[in-house]
Amino acid sequence: MAETSTAQQMLDQEMIARIGRRDQSAFSALYDRLSGPLYSLAMKMLGDPAEAQDALQDVFLQIWSRAATYDPEQSSVFSWTVLLTRSRVIDRLRARGRRSRIVVASTEDTLTGAADASTVESAADTVEKNDEAVRVRDVLNNLPSEQREAIELAFFEHLSHHEIAARLGQPLGTVKARIRRGLLKLRERLNSL
Amino acid sequence: MISEEQQDQAALYALGLLDADEDAAFESELKANAELRDLVRELREAAGDVALTAPSLLPPASLKQRIMGEIALETKRVVPMPTQRASFGWIPWAIAAALAVFCGLLALDRVRLERQLSDIRAADPLMQTTFFALAPSAPAPSDAKATVAWQPGRQSGVIRISNLPAPQPGKDYQLWAVDAEHKDPISAGVVRVDKNGVAQIRFKPVEKAEHVKAFAISLEREGGVPKKEGPILLVGTT
Repeated sequence: MAETSTAQQMLDQEMIARIGRRDQSAFSALYDRLSGPLYSLAMKMLGDPAEAQDALQDVFLQIWSRAATYDPEQSSVFSWTVLLTRSRVIDRLRARGRRSRIVVASTEDTLTGAADASTVESAADTVEKNDEAVRVRDVLNNLPSEQREAIELAFFEHLSHHEIAARLGQPLGTVKARIRRGLLKLRERLNSL
Repeated sequence: MISEEQQDQAALYALGLLDADEDAAFESELKANAELRDLVRELREAAGDVALTAPSLLPPASLKQRIMGEIALETKRVVPMPTQRASFGWIPWAIAAALAVFCGLLALDRVRLERQLSDIRAADPLMQTTFFALAPSAPAPSDAKATVAWQPGRQSGVIRISNLPAPQPGKDYQLWAVDAEHKDPISAGVVRVDKNGVAQIRFKPVEKAEHVKAFAISLEREGGVPKKEGPILLVGTT
């Protein structure tokens, strides 16, 4: 697994179990571990620091209230929280009806635009996390470009497979196959790291 | 065997792209197909990892304060605070002053006690033991539990398990030490429960574990595995 080693997953599960028993120190520790990547995701999809912070607040309050229902059989804690974040962000995008204005910013643009309200992680603090991010980026960049493009449109812009097909001018079946092949390949390559 | 069409649906489901009807139909298919559930989990993990490609940012520190404040507020709502009477407003100040003096005395006493404790620890092996309480994770019965007494100096420990039913044939429970210095959990061997779901055994991890943060029990193939594969049933820190 790319993001979390098995040992880290166990600790995450332990933290979630404690949060389910209303342990605020466990919640604080989980926030410290996950707020960076989840905020980065919210920023990439929303492109607005204030809205990304509101979305992150919703997500963590949801983690607090739903920790007892977390099912480790379905996903790791990290993936569970990523999916919660995406879901909250998508709700916000729908509410403001501005899907067409989703910002899929380049790294440089996002860092510059968010500098006033957010803190760019210091290299010393995030060497390990960035290592993982670099590895995932490498693997994603080494996928065939059409598969990568389909996954990014689906994940970050939340375009449906129908919308992706229309945007790329490709048959629906081709888009489905690209997403499927891309995700399977991504998983296989990340597992072999 | 999973068909290509099922794989397509699984990928779209993992990314949350199915519409409500497709979603419901696929979920009922999932209930009946363990292999498909495994595939969905794998694809979800891959999708989760895609999030790491977003440019790395941290939220402002004030956000954590805001969220912790919300949670504290919610906890307070659940446990109502007793009301204070205005005419006795000086009482909290008097208590605070008394507490300040008391804390000073405690601090002095603590230094003395710590010195004594360290002498006792050196002399008594029981004092060199760390205890871990393991609580059940989702697949385990809710009343299953275990306690680990771990002696880092000796690199050995004792585990007592209760209310954990024997695994199905071809499976075993395996104990793991989660160590801060190791990427993967370290195997501490297979543990077998009796017909009452109880076990008490002495164990020794296969590698040196000097910074154990947690112990966990997973369900594995019979005889155990070198690296954890199965679901976690019990896990706990100190």
